[in-house]
Amino acid sequence: MFSLLLQKELKNIITSPKFTATFLVCSLLILISVFIGINEYENAVAQYQANQEIARQNIAEATSWGRVRNLLHREPNPVQIFVSGVHFDVGRLSNISDYNDVKLVRSPYSDETLFAIFRVIDFAFIVQIVLSLFAILFTYDAINGEREQGTLKLAFANSISRAKYLIAKFSGIWLGLIVPLLIPILLGMLMLIAFKVPLASTDWLSIISLVGLSVLYISLFIVIGILVSAITRSSSLSFLLLLVIWISGVLIVPRLGVMAAGQIVQVESVAQIEAKQEAFQKARWDDYSAELTEVWQEREAQMEGMSDEERTAYRDEMEWTWLEEDDASRKQVQSDIITNNRRLLEESQNRKKLQEQLAFNIARISPVASFQLAAMKLAGTDVGLKNRYETSMRLYKDDFSEYIQQKEAEEGGHGGFNISIDSEQGVQIDFGRNDQTLDTSEMPQYQSPELRLQDTVGAALFDFGFLGVCIVLGFGGSVLAFMRYDLR
Amino acid sequence: MFKFIFIKELRDIIQSSRFTISFAVCSVLIILAFVMGAQNYLSSKAQYDAAIQENRNQIAAHTEWMMVEHSITLPPQPLMTLVTGVSNDIGRNIAMSGRGELRAENTRFNDEPIFAVFRFMDLEFIFGIVLSLFAKIFAYDAINGEKNRGTLKLCFANPLSRANFIAGKLVGSFVGLSVALLIPILIGCALLPVLGVQLTTDEWLKLSLILIAGILYFGVFLAITIAISASTVKPSNAFLIGLVVWIFAVLIIPRTSVLISGRIVDVPNIDEITAQKNRYRTQLFDEDRPKMSNFQLPEGTEIENAMTAFQSFMSDLASARQEKIDVFNARLNEEYSNKKRAQEQLALSLSRISPTSVFTLVTTQLAGTSLNLQHNFMDEAYTYQNAYADFMQEKTGSNRSSGFRMIMITTGGDEEEPEPLDPDELPQFIFSGQSFSEAAQAGMIDLSLLILFNLIFFGGAFRAFLNYDLR
Amino acid sequence: MQNSTIQAAPLLEAVELTKVYEDGVKALNNLNLVVREGEIYAMLGGNGAGKTTTINAFLDFIQPTSGKALINGIDANALPLEAKKHVAFVSENVQLYPNFTAMQNLDFFVRLGGKSHYERLDYERALHRVGLQSEAFDRKLKDFSKGMRQKCGIAIAILKDAPAILLDEPTSGLDPKAGKEFTRLVAELRDEGKAILMSTHDIFRAKEIADYVGILNNGELVAEKTKAELEGVNLEELYVEYMAGYMDEAPVSGSLSNNLS
Repeated sequence: MFSLLLQKELKNIITSPKFTATFLVCSLLILISVFIGINEYENAVAQYQANQEIARQNIAEATSWGRVRNLLHREPNPVQIFVSGVHFDVGRLSNISDYNDVKLVRSPYSDETLFAIFRVIDFAFIVQIVLSLFAILFTYDAINGEREQGTLKLAFANSISRAKYLIAKFSGIWLGLIVPLLIPILLGMLMLIAFKVPLASTDWLSIISLVGLSVLYISLFIVIGILVSAITRSSSLSFLLLLVIWISGVLIVPRLGVMAAGQIVQVESVAQIEAKQEAFQKARWDDYSAELTEVWQEREAQMEGMSDEERTAYRDEMEWTWLEEDDASRKQVQSDIITNNRRLLEESQNRKKLQEQLAFNIARISPVASFQLAAMKLAGTDVGLKNRYETSMRLYKDDFSEYIQQKEAEEGGHGGFNISIDSEQGVQIDFGRNDQTLDTSEMPQYQSPELRLQDTVGAALFDFGFLGVCIVLGFGGSVLAFMRYDLR
Repeated sequence: MFKFIFIKELRDIIQSSRFTISFAVCSVLIILAFVMGAQNYLSSKAQYDAAIQENRNQIAAHTEWMMVEHSITLPPQPLMTLVTGVSNDIGRNIAMSGRGELRAENTRFNDEPIFAVFRFMDLEFIFGIVLSLFAKIFAYDAINGEKNRGTLKLCFANPLSRANFIAGKLVGSFVGLSVALLIPILIGCALLPVLGVQLTTDEWLKLSLILIAGILYFGVFLAITIAISASTVKPSNAFLIGLVVWIFAVLIIPRTSVLISGRIVDVPNIDEITAQKNRYRTQLFDEDRPKMSNFQLPEGTEIENAMTAFQSFMSDLASARQEKIDVFNARLNEEYSNKKRAQEQLALSLSRISPTSVFTLVTTQLAGTSLNLQHNFMDEAYTYQNAYADFMQEKTGSNRSSGFRMIMITTGGDEEEPEPLDPDELPQFIFSGQSFSEAAQAGMIDLSLLILFNLIFFGGAFRAFLNYDLR
Repeated sequence: MQNSTIQAAPLLEAVELTKVYEDGVKALNNLNLVVREGEIYAMLGGNGAGKTTTINAFLDFIQPTSGKALINGIDANALPLEAKKHVAFVSENVQLYPNFTAMQNLDFFVRLGGKSHYERLDYERALHRVGLQSEAFDRKLKDFSKGMRQKCGIAIAILKDAPAILLDEPTSGLDPKAGKEFTRLVAELRDEGKAILMSTHDIFRAKEIADYVGILNNGELVAEKTKAELEGVNLEELYVEYMAGYMDEAPVSGSLSNNLS
């Protein structure tokens, strides 16, 4: 009995022109999106490599350790082919030097504004917008359409339990929609192989989880469609209701969540934080200048009463100590600035995290947001992407600075120019070494933050569970509704 | 006759539950778009004001113009409230320097990726995606639904010409739906000043053109849908075909045209160009190095003037170097931006097959949030750079391209406290957006295209219905 | 009835009406029929016999391959807008506009029919006449039963006040009481002098009110009987006989002779 119902449902779907049309459109969309994704990924890799080249050049051309600076680029992640997330919105690269803090700048969209106009479509977008719409299209008249055709009465003129009927209905629609969808998805994966996209096993795991997540998401819309169809009498009404649900779920609730959170938790803009950092930096350097002036006045005072020869001798004797003293306090200033910068950043990041958490939890009223957040997590293109990179780049910067300072100490020279103005000798400029290139073989290498399974799949588990619970609730609801459905 | 059909169509729309529900949803969406857009604009505005203020504070805290790190900021366009365009995707701050290349940084989405996750929902999005979908829902059974209900036969049992019927149908549904749409839109417009978005007369004019474009766009989809309905027998098929057309227009064509133009016009990787520029700069610096090492104070220079002398020496060297760099970079930049603009032009022209992208282009153009926003910002920043360089030259005697931090250690006695700087002395950066007539001129082609689309599809619906099988 | 002295001008006339579809199906073959003032002509026949095609030809919904459909002497296919001024139509299973009230539907269709001088009172009178309850007048049609919708349809035809009326399966799906009421109305209209051409499956009702009964099969008029000729004849038997006979291709000549009388 069950298999008969299931077969009927499957046949009904597969033989309909609706199915042919949607199948073709979905396949086309998915393949285009994967193709665009691969294209964009390859562009990102080319940029990544060009930047590594730039960084290497810069380092090779530096003639003194003080002038060595590094340029770090966000490493493209192949899973972003499927879920671009915030990849296009977040800066790609950051300078690593003693004087500036790490800051990712130049987002792909700001470099290629053309793409920003129409935005890039990715697999997640298609699942989220198009496939959910199609799921509704296939289910809005699941129950009430059969009533309108009179086939519901005919079916229940036989000895069938309502629960069995509903389960068969759901399974039939599910198989009829999901299985054909897997075809273009598999083709998309073949494209990955054909284009030789380098994928690690964890990437494959992420992609497979993403497919699973999409299946869950579409199942949810199938369930919602059946539920609405089982609580309304006419299919035109259920279609309208479902569209309203779709629009609010897909378009309104997620955005409202973010807007609301933006209102509730205020976060200072980057410009404001930078201004605060600059103010502190300036004040600190001013202090340092004053301090240095004082120190030199003191030193002058010690030389009070000496003869010119004595002075020169004393100076020559003390020069090294003084230099070291000055250098130490300069380093103190720098480290104070860095500490303060990081404190300010951390504060703002904490507030941002709070804002994000709030925003996403409000947005999760709509399971659509849940899907999107989980998909981004799986692809590692979630909202934390920027932070993750900046944090790891800061750690690298510490290593880098330490290495440079150590090298500088070894070489005994200072970076940049050294200009001394003396009433006797006039102006003397020391440019440091300028002949040989530096041996940077031991320079610390930057490692992109590794995405462990617990960061991707693990972090998405909650949303998986949430979608699952929604499906179970929705299905339970439709069983209940159908049990009491007026078959007339 | 036309009048009866027209009135009937209006009535049929207004009395349907389809209308009640979708009107309610659209009204909520449109009002929300206004409110959220205003919110978005105001927070951009607040960020802008804060950035300007911080910049002034920073200047005022210094005593030497030499030390000032001036940056200019792109003011948010008030019409981004309704048409976000690329305004969140382009850099807003430019660190000013007397010469050399400028780069806009700190895009809104880079600063606040949280908003990039779901993006903003603006009026352009509502029109482009939601209202076009609603046009489909309204009209997919315009003709074949009447046939199924038998009313088509009943109507044509009377002395009624087909032309009158289809014209009444098209005009009636267009007027009925667009007037209904205008209600929440006008409420939203009236809300703008209340929400704190002040628009100038020019901007109101632009806004009204944006709304006209929106209504025209809606008309295109309505006409397409009615044309489909007049060429199919089953409403469900009409809906499906309509949906496919919608997906192509909204999702596929705009993106694939960008993809195709990227294939046709090969624009070099921007980072490779940077690498080239870097190489050239380093090469020049290396050439100058020996000159610097051999620097000698001119005979008879007082020691107090040594620093100034050195500075002017360095500054001369730097200027000479910079001139070469400027020439080199300008050539590279021009080549790059020419190619990029060619690519953009091609992509945009291709995408104009789809009414959705025509609509996007015309509204962003009018709202001042199109691709040109970025171009204009950079152009004006470069113009400002000259004024800034002149100012700095006058104040410091150098145009500050060397960029090293100087720590003055005076071993002499106490000096006078230097005066803090007055930020008002600095020439102000004023971003002048397009005037209404400029914007209208720029948007004219796309606006006419929308009208053309309307004519084509209205005509198509007309033709299809003249051959329609009434049985 | 057959007396030429009282015979009025034909209001509905099919002259050698033939319709062949693109796929070669012959829907009508050389059909001739005449309906005059004060007459009811009932077309009988199975599904696909050509009854609805005939009506479609009069309404210019199809272009006949050859022959003419004349309304009040005007060629319905050459001058459709002129011809349709003189005809009212009630279709099978009238649905009307579901979002309109009965009044609004009436108002729209009657104005479309060129009568714009009516007032609400006239509509009410017509709806009363067709037997619709007053409380239903301002309800939306989507809440109406099939019978109620059919009543609205006939009210529209009455209000149009055209000399000729086309009825396509008007009683199908109606309960016996509603069917009887409908028959009474049609008879009343005939008595007011309308020329009525109706297609029906209902042999008994046809016999009861029709002045002429035509039996169609495969697009051909195989028999035409006057009311007098049917007196005392079992029409059902005749119908089945003709249908069967036609299959055997026997009594075609008989039908033709009938046609000529």
